[in-house]
Amino acid sequence: MKRLSQSTPLVKLAGGLLVLGAWEVVVRLFAPAYVARPSGIARAFPQALASAGMLRAAGVTLHAVVEGLLIAVVSGTLIGLAMGRIKAADRLLKLYVNGLYAMPMVAILPLLTIWFGYSSAARLATVVFASFFPIAMNAADGARSVPAEYLEVARACRARWSDVWFGITLPSSLPYLLAGVRLAVGRALVGAVVAEFFISIDGLGYFILFQSRTFHHDAAFVAVLLLAGFAVGMDALIGWITRRHLRWYRTAASAA
Amino acid sequence: MLDPESRSVRWATYAVSVLGGAALWEFAGRRANAAVAAPLSATLLRLWEMIETGELRASLGGSLALFVAGFGIALLTALPFGLLLSRARVLRVALSDYILLVNAMPMVALIPFILSIFGLEMGAKVLVVFLFCFFPVLYNTIEGADSVRPELIEVARSYRSGEWAIWRDVMLPGTFPYAMTGVRQAIGRGLVGVVAAEFFLSASGIGQLLMTSGRNFDTAGLLATVLVITLLGVALMGVGRALEDRFTAWRGLAG
Repeated sequence: MKRLSQSTPLVKLAGGLLVLGAWEVVVRLFAPAYVARPSGIARAFPQALASAGMLRAAGVTLHAVVEGLLIAVVSGTLIGLAMGRIKAADRLLKLYVNGLYAMPMVAILPLLTIWFGYSSAARLATVVFASFFPIAMNAADGARSVPAEYLEVARACRARWSDVWFGITLPSSLPYLLAGVRLAVGRALVGAVVAEFFISIDGLGYFILFQSRTFHHDAAFVAVLLLAGFAVGMDALIGWITRRHLRWYRTAASAA
Repeated sequence: MLDPESRSVRWATYAVSVLGGAALWEFAGRRANAAVAAPLSATLLRLWEMIETGELRASLGGSLALFVAGFGIALLTALPFGLLLSRARVLRVALSDYILLVNAMPMVALIPFILSIFGLEMGAKVLVVFLFCFFPVLYNTIEGADSVRPELIEVARSYRSGEWAIWRDVMLPGTFPYAMTGVRQAIGRGLVGVVAAEFFLSASGIGQLLMTSGRNFDTAGLLATVLVITLLGVALMGVGRALEDRFTAWRGLAG
């Protein structure tokens, strides 16, 4: 057991080489020559990263994802906190929030293209739609979990309305909220890519579609790696924020 | 005991929620251009028409078959593979980071590759749904395996438990609840995979219904289909939640 944990990085490296090697061999033996394989991707990597088309596409997509996420975080937090703290709001909205959360978001694309046209506005709407519901649901869970004593003390001290909401409820639901954002990032990326496939507008999704149609699979796969890198990077960032700034959450939870 | 007063108030607010939403939909639909939105009444009429002509049943059947095929194959492969990795610790350490990476990757981005390699065959669509479902199950099963405390296995060993007993008493109860979380996630993702595959590979089922009604500006038909998909999503999500809750009760024992 001990020896294994000491050699962990080596084992992981070996695992990576095993995966890449198996991929390379399978593609070389069984697939047509244009299919992406590690050696080809490695060759295409510097070229694709340096190409203006790819950089522009990445910029456009990530911009839409971040913009949509910001809209969803602000609106989802407000609606979610209201649902968590006000019974009437919860009962009025629960049905719709839960229902639309369970709906596969791809299904809304034809409707959004009718409403927003075949434009980048439809992509933004898809991203917002994809990320709003997990954030609102988690914010509501967080607001429900605020310890009742905090609110009682606040009331006893005649705290102002804004202090109760943004000084107590919001900070103590942050861990839940961040978990919701974590879910939302993945869904937002899927939303942006799917919208670009559907509407054929410039972006990483369309870049992938175009390159693979013209059998440049290696270049297209570099774009997939960028998307995966963005997903993992955002995940790591949120995890870091949770550990660095919300350290009280774990201790409070384990003390309770 | 429940206070009858609060119960009736609760049901009244739910009724307001449903009726208010319906009224809003009806009103907005009537005000808007017919190509942009349809009132609830027209949507429900169109839905009834789609049910009567069998249009809905055929599409829904096709989509469900696709879902069951992709999801089923994913379960039958991801669960055994995950369980294998849960005992083979070296292999798990070697592969888990890469499985995490692939699980975080937006799977839709692979659809163009699948399209250009496999074309418009039915198998290509099953492959898409499979890929959407496989990694959440695998990832969560491995996470469950990591959560099994090594001491439990050591204790079982020192009592001379055989391999089979270790599986039955330690590994399966430890990993299964996590695997069920993966199954719930896979259900949600699989549904996205079904619609995405039907949009971007050969059009069929619910996806095709959505596309054609969108293209023909049959907004009532489009809204009716979206409504059906939402109900399907809610139902499948409910099944997933029920499965997960049924088995998470174990977690306290094993963790």
